[in-house]
Amino acid sequence: MAIPPGHYTLGPGEATLTVRTGKAGAASKAGHNLRIEVTSWRATLDVAEDPSATAMALTADARSLRVREGTGGMQALGDDDMKSIEQTIDDEVLEGSSIAFRSRRVEPGADGTLNVEGDLDLAGTTRPVAFALTGGDDGRLSGSARLKQTDWGIKPYSALFGTLKVVDEVDVEIDGTLPR
Amino acid sequence: MVELDHSFQNGKPTDYNWDAIRDLDRLIPCVQGGRVVERTSPTEAKAEIKVKMGAMSMTFAGTVELVEQDDAAHHATLKVKSREVGGQGHANADVAFALSDGGGTIHTAAQITGKAASMGEGVVVSVLDGLIKDFTRRLESI
Repeated sequence: MAIPPGHYTLGPGEATLTVRTGKAGAASKAGHNLRIEVTSWRATLDVAEDPSATAMALTADARSLRVREGTGGMQALGDDDMKSIEQTIDDEVLEGSSIAFRSRRVEPGADGTLNVEGDLDLAGTTRPVAFALTGGDDGRLSGSARLKQTDWGIKPYSALFGTLKVVDEVDVEIDGTLPR
Repeated sequence: MVELDHSFQNGKPTDYNWDAIRDLDRLIPCVQGGRVVERTSPTEAKAEIKVKMGAMSMTFAGTVELVEQDDAAHHATLKVKSREVGGQGHANADVAFALSDGGGTIHTAAQITGKAASMGEGVVVSVLDGLIKDFTRRLESI
C-alpha cells in the first residue's frame, strides 16, 4: 500500500529503529547475536504527490543505543553484560559520532514501496545507502538497510584475541506506524 | 591436552631475558588480563587471569610456579594451575622457555576443562594461540 502524501515526523514514539548484529570467528559460540534499539532519533518524511519529489531525513544519537536482546550465546546476557556492550559501543565503536541520513533520490517501486537512496554520515564518514520503505495497512511503515561497518571506517568489534568478532554487515530496521 | 609452540625475538641479551622470565612479577602481567595476586615465594605466585569474551568474561585463579630451571642451558618451566572462579572448569599448563640470544621459544602444554573446553578443542587452540602470540609480543618489550 502506498504511503499517503503528507509531512510526517517520526521518532521512538511512532516507530522502532533497530540494529541487528551477528557474530563470527572460531569462538563465535561464546558471543551473542544482538538486537539493539536506537532510543533517541528523529526522522522526517515528506511524501509528495509525485513520489520522485519525496524526501526523507533522519538523525540519531549514537550514545542512545540500548541492547534489548542477545541470542545464541553459551549463557544468557545479564543486565550488566548489556550495559557493558553499550559502553563498548560508546567508547570503541561509534564513539558518540553524529549519525545523519538524507535522501538524494526516491523512486516508486511495486505496491507503493518507496526506493530510497541517500547519504549516511556515520563515524565521520559519508557513504551512500539504499533501502526500500514500505507502507502497510493502517499506516504501518517498515524498511531495512544492510550496512557494512568497514565502509564507514568502523573496525568491527573483536574479542578473545580475534577469535570472536561482530560480523561486518549489520542490519538497520525501522518499523512503526505513520502519525496521523 | 593442547600443545603449542611459539617464539619471540626482542633483541635483548640472554641473561636479561633469563632474569625477566623468572621474575613472576614482571612475567605474569605480560599475559593479557593476568595479574599477580600474591607473591608467595621467589619461585611461586598466586595469580589470576581474566579472559574477556565480548561482554562476558571468565576469570581463572590459581598458582604459577617456576618448577624447573637450568641456568646453563637457559631452560625454565613454569607450571600453571588454576580454577575457574565461580565455575567448575580448570586451566592448567606447563610452559617451557628455551632462551637463545635475542629471544627464545615457548612450548605450552595446556589442559582446559569446563565451560571454556565445551566450546571445542579447535576453539581452545585458537584462543590459546592468540593469547600466547599476544604474550610473545609483550615479551618483546619486557
